[in-house]
Amino acid sequence: MDELELLKKDWQKDSNAYPKLSYNDIYKMILKKSSSIVKWIFIISLLEFIFWIVLSIAFKGNKEMNQFDNLNSNYIVISLTVIGYIILAYFFFMFFKNYRTISVTDNAKKLMENILKTRQTVRRYVAFNLLYLIIACVLLLFIAFDQDKQLINLANIAAANGESFKFYAIFILTVSGLLAIVILILLIFYWLVYGILLRRLNRNYKELKKLDL
Amino acid sequence: MSKTLEHNFVEQLEANQNIVHKVCRLYTNNQDAHNDLFQEVVIQLWKAYPKFRGDSKFSTWMYRVALNTAITLYRKKKRRINTQEFESVEFKIKAEEYDDTEEQQLKLLYSAVKELNDIEKALVFLYLEDKNYKEISETMGISEVNARVKMSRIKTKLKTILNP
Repeated sequence: MDELELLKKDWQKDSNAYPKLSYNDIYKMILKKSSSIVKWIFIISLLEFIFWIVLSIAFKGNKEMNQFDNLNSNYIVISLTVIGYIILAYFFFMFFKNYRTISVTDNAKKLMENILKTRQTVRRYVAFNLLYLIIACVLLLFIAFDQDKQLINLANIAAANGESFKFYAIFILTVSGLLAIVILILLIFYWLVYGILLRRLNRNYKELKKLDL
Repeated sequence: MSKTLEHNFVEQLEANQNIVHKVCRLYTNNQDAHNDLFQEVVIQLWKAYPKFRGDSKFSTWMYRVALNTAITLYRKKKRRINTQEFESVEFKIKAEEYDDTEEQQLKLLYSAVKELNDIEKALVFLYLEDKNYKEISETMGISEVNARVKMSRIKTKLKTILNP
């Protein structure tokens, strides 16, 4: 006899071996809160959105940033801000749209795909933010070197001493160093949180995809 | 949500709870984890219930939600002691004194199934529940042909585990 047939025979007959929960036991269960990974993904994604929004507001309230308002660069700062918010709105909309398509009554593969798609939206948003951060930094530095009197003075002094190269090199290295640290911290955070949260889902999704090759 | 809805749901679930217990048995290794997964499946079923239109049987609908919860949504908690190792040790000792009785073979088979990965377990579960390949493929989201191929591979795998 086929091994599985033997198992099937046994599997179907031993239905008495399971605990019998009463009506009340089950009723109590439906009042409890879920702790599924979808819920965690939702919370973490929202926190990510909030993190970047708070970060951008903090930047705007910053004293150094206020200096830029005095410089002749308002049009760049304003357009950067507007672009930032439009893109935030787009990602936020996409995130909710994808989140709402997650349905536990879909087939296993589709459910996994929809969860991963929701994640991908937030991941793209973060990638966009990093890129935005880098571009904004570079642009603002250009403006500063072009218009900020203090900085121009410093650059001139350095040039007078023949240390122009050193001055710019230190400046660029410091800024890229800081950016690299921020990016590294975010990557470690990602690796930890999503590595743990999505490891099983990714493994099972790969396995399902492998079946359909 | 209305009281009638709640009542209908709990009543149907009470009558069909073995389906959920069976899934929990396959995917967990101790009572705590069993209860935990059971609880999560019930929550997911309840959340999805308002959209259940009754165009399929309640039990058929339950298979999908229960399996999806076990494979994808359920987050195992760390604090639990994993008793799987103890079980395998026990089965290994028994395997040495293997005497070909049906009961021994069944024990070995159950422990072999427990060693399969999440997806393989789901296919075996549906197979044991006498679902046809069409239903299996629809539940998992793979083609019927591939479901068949995979099942025959699992059978071979189980044979190898049982007769090394």
